[in-house]
Amino acid sequence: MYQFNSKYELKSLLRNGWIQLMTLLLLGLFLFAFYNGNEKVDKRKNDIQAAFNEVKESDQNMLILLDSVQRGMEVSASRWTIPTKPMAVGNYHPRVAAMNPGPLAFVATGQSDLFSHYIKPKASGDDMALNFTEISNPVQQLFGSFDLAFVIIYLLPLIIIAFTYNVLSSEKESGTLRLLASQPISMRSWVFQKMGIRLFWVVLMIGVVLILVSVIIPSGVNIVELLPVFGVTLGYIFFWFALAFAVNLWVGSSSKNAIALIGLWLVFVLLIPSVLNQMGNALYPMPSRTLMINEMRSAKAEATKKQDQILDNFLRDHPEYAINDPNQNRSFYHRYMASQQLVREELQPVVGRFEQQLQNQQQWISQLKWISPAIIVQQELNALAGSSTKDYENYRKQVTAFAESWRQHLLPFLYSNEPFSTDDYENLPEFQYQRLTSDTTLISIIALVFIALIGVILGFLKGVGSQSTEKFITQ
Amino acid sequence: MITTDNLTKSYGDTLVLDRLNLNIKAGELYCLLGANGAGKTTTINLLLGFIKPTSGNAFINGLAVSEDPKKTKKHLAYIPENLMLYPSLSAVENLDYFSGIGGTHLSKSQLEAFLDEAGLQKVAFHQRISTFSKGMRQKVGIALALAKNANVLLLDEPTSGLDPKASNEFGLLLQKLRNKGVATLMATHDLFRAKEIATHIGIMKSGQLRQEFLATDISLSDLEHAYLKTMDYKELAL
Amino acid sequence: MIRSTLIKELRELLRDGRVRISFFIVLLLIAVATWISKTQYTITNQQYQQADNEERAVWENQGEKNPHSAAHYGTYAFKPKYPLSLVDQGVDKFTGTSIFLEAHKRNEAQFSQAADQTGLARFGDLTPDFVLLFIIPLLIVFLGYNAFTKEREMGTLVLLKSQGTPIWKLILGKWLALFLPVFTIVFLLFIVAGIVLSNLENFGVFNWQSLGMLFLIYMGYYFIFINLVLFISLKMKKSGIALVVALATWILACLAVPKAASNIAESKHPYPTRQEFASNILQDQKEGLDGHDPWNKQAKLLEQKVLKEYKVDSLEQLPFNFDAYRMQKGEEHTAEIYLKHYKHLKTQFEEQSKLYRGLAVLSPFLPARFMSMAIANTDYATHWHFADAAENYRVELQASLNGNFAENSAYGEWSYRANADTWKNMPQFGYDPPELGETLTTNTSNLVILSVWVLGTFLLLFFTTKKL
Repeated sequence: MYQFNSKYELKSLLRNGWIQLMTLLLLGLFLFAFYNGNEKVDKRKNDIQAAFNEVKESDQNMLILLDSVQRGMEVSASRWTIPTKPMAVGNYHPRVAAMNPGPLAFVATGQSDLFSHYIKPKASGDDMALNFTEISNPVQQLFGSFDLAFVIIYLLPLIIIAFTYNVLSSEKESGTLRLLASQPISMRSWVFQKMGIRLFWVVLMIGVVLILVSVIIPSGVNIVELLPVFGVTLGYIFFWFALAFAVNLWVGSSSKNAIALIGLWLVFVLLIPSVLNQMGNALYPMPSRTLMINEMRSAKAEATKKQDQILDNFLRDHPEYAINDPNQNRSFYHRYMASQQLVREELQPVVGRFEQQLQNQQQWISQLKWISPAIIVQQELNALAGSSTKDYENYRKQVTAFAESWRQHLLPFLYSNEPFSTDDYENLPEFQYQRLTSDTTLISIIALVFIALIGVILGFLKGVGSQSTEKFITQ
Repeated sequence: MITTDNLTKSYGDTLVLDRLNLNIKAGELYCLLGANGAGKTTTINLLLGFIKPTSGNAFINGLAVSEDPKKTKKHLAYIPENLMLYPSLSAVENLDYFSGIGGTHLSKSQLEAFLDEAGLQKVAFHQRISTFSKGMRQKVGIALALAKNANVLLLDEPTSGLDPKASNEFGLLLQKLRNKGVATLMATHDLFRAKEIATHIGIMKSGQLRQEFLATDISLSDLEHAYLKTMDYKELAL
Repeated sequence: MIRSTLIKELRELLRDGRVRISFFIVLLLIAVATWISKTQYTITNQQYQQADNEERAVWENQGEKNPHSAAHYGTYAFKPKYPLSLVDQGVDKFTGTSIFLEAHKRNEAQFSQAADQTGLARFGDLTPDFVLLFIIPLLIVFLGYNAFTKEREMGTLVLLKSQGTPIWKLILGKWLALFLPVFTIVFLLFIVAGIVLSNLENFGVFNWQSLGMLFLIYMGYYFIFINLVLFISLKMKKSGIALVVALATWILACLAVPKAASNIAESKHPYPTRQEFASNILQDQKEGLDGHDPWNKQAKLLEQKVLKEYKVDSLEQLPFNFDAYRMQKGEEHTAEIYLKHYKHLKTQFEEQSKLYRGLAVLSPFLPARFMSMAIANTDYATHWHFADAAENYRVELQASLNGNFAENSAYGEWSYRANADTWKNMPQFGYDPPELGETLTTNTSNLVILSVWVLGTFLLLFFTTKKL
């Protein structure tokens, strides 16, 4: 039966224009999604490059200034911006802490439209003031991006539904079912084979389209790197085919099948995610940011009042910074940096609460994402693209750590009242973003296939002799 | 060979087929007459295994349908009232597909020979089914019976909606099959065609087989008379 | 005829198990969504009140301080949540809720809710606007896709035609049958929302007119979908195909076009990155007056100008503290620079909005979405409005702080401390969102586009079909 099914299925699909239509549709969608993804990645790269160039330029100026000052020349810059002062270097010549896009960044916009991809942490700035969000038109964020992840998660299932909702029911509606059922075959395996053949074609088309698109729009990614994306997509496709298989056997007429499948799409793609999100928020509510501001303000107000005392305490804790010279030169920055340190330490638990709740929510999702394959795929694609919540959390942590090391690098200069010189320039710390790698891809694919198998088994469980099957053929 | 042994089907309290006993041997053509809802189509559905009997048994070539519907369908051909085929495929392709999925692999020339034998015009062999009339589609159905080498043929109202010429042609085809030793069960309203081609005729009402005749024993007018009497119709007094 | 068609259609819908189930599910969704939104709304507003009061208390209790220190210490402007956000959350999730108002600097609104959420939140929230904008059109598709195809398939169309009634009456009957259930659901939702909102104490400026206008917008949106779905059902031969086409229309209008539009808007009229934006401003500031730096070239020029104006030859002889005066001039200068750069942002935003309006030809979702957000005061324009109000307040606050400094101290007197009561006398930040009339005027083009869609689809439905 298999060879006849595959031969004539292909013939019918070609003659009805289905294959051609699907290929064109997929090609169009993937092209547009690739294009959009690349556009975003290119802009991100260019922005980062521009920031580096700007720093390079200002470093040149800094070096010239340093050189002039060291040679005792008069300089025209405002006195507090002269880079012999360590705080001037720390504040006016910050380094770029950039989050460079990974090779698969174009796949999923994920959270990348919310956050900045490079930050220049200043020595005197507090970490709370590090604004990691990006300025953008929130309408774009509301509507979301037409990226590959959107095509895969939202549109691909709908295309599959349109392709499979009536495999069995159309036989009934066009009147061929009775003749077919009078042949010595099992209807379940017949539907299974038809589905299998259509699945094969969809997979083949997507494979070809992926290769074609990566040739047409060179994103610098090679085909091998795309394999995990392809794998996750395959798992997701399996799932929807399995679901369509079960619905074809269990439900009935074409319209009912379509409504049932669209209903399931709605449940898996829209409802489960938003309900889980809602529950996550309810279980691990984010503390109020507005109230956090209040706390932060009082902590700062306290610190400002007691700046001198704080500095004394600070110097007691850090004797290496205490200078023996009785005429020690206590400037604004000596007091400020010390009190900032204190404020930071005091606010650490407040800020930590947010990260902690975010982690809790993330944990909650990773436990419950198995309920909806759409969530599995979204999380996985975001992880592969490096645009997941975790990635940005990772980046924030790295930047905060870098900001700390930037400060710690310059503080000894400040407290030992030592000027910053051209020789010290070489030793300035540089930020290097350490990307997370997704180690869950294989598990996700296996999970998707497993869920798909449940669908297939559900389909096969449908007893051929049951009352409704009788009705289906004879009425 | 078609046999039914007290074949009964009921849906809840409604009895749609009541202890039907049939025995159609090779080379016989049995016509089941009866009004709509008499149980003709139910009988065919039971023989095909589309539905399960409430009690009793149906046998095709001595095999119980309910035990192994796949095996019994192997040498059985069925032409539903309105035979539909895949409109985007040609006659040859449809024949190839339907015989193929049942496990009968045939060459192109064999397929064409069967269509020819079934009386389909040669020009139509490679045309898409979407252009075919009902009579032409039925010929493809007969070709399928020939291709499967079926010795049992089930027909559900095959002549309804055919013009007289096509109907006549179809009758001749059935005779040809009968001569080959095919056992045929045909459900029909068409008394005239039944008298002409059947070997045996049965009249059903309310799920029961009320009367049986040998076709050679009865004239057309007697048959009509018997039919209407069974149906409780008052004949028009001419 | 219209009446009998309507009754027959409604009867059929009521007897269809699927319809009952989907109707029930939509009602349940709306109920849950409204409840969640209401809870969040109340919590957010309580937090807003608390934060606002506490921040004011922090500001007022600064004690004796130099006004400029107070300026650096700054204060916060918090964005309130508006009553109709109960119906449409709009972009609220993506915009910051608090703006830090300090000397020399215009800050962006900080802390958007979305940044504190996981990637799951990007699937969308279960809010009334989600049900109103996405689910109800889908319900219309499911209820109406076979309005005509089923008659065709069952063969009853021939019978209907033979009755000799005009087609438009038949269409109108079916139209009303589709509209009534939708109207019922949405009307219920809006009535419940109105009652809930008018019973919440002292929160915002709820008025029934806005709610009514919002209701009209949604009705218009549903008119379009009902017309389109019925039109598709009229033109298609089979229910299956009608369903696929109607669904494709829904996907295109509600999902694909808005997302595509977002990408196009972003790439055609990009915003600068936060860092770029900041460094552009810094660049401009470097070339201008620096209020803190007496040796700055611009500062020297100002000095000479003021000396000439007051006909004195040293800064000490001026009747006010020149340091504070210079700082105020610097403040005004920076405010201008900010204004210029924010104007650029606003131009980009307006260009993007124009693009969205252009693409509304492809999707009635876009104008409906924008109108709904605008009326609910949860759109981006309202956010701008808020940010601008906060900036105006900041500029005024800086002026009065610098004024206090200038009038009450002499040149060089950096040790001046304003007394502790000064801060209480400074005006408090208050913000009123645009009124309904104002919103409608600024959104006329979206309103027009939506009306064109409504009219166009009505014409399409009733006048392109001469026979069935």
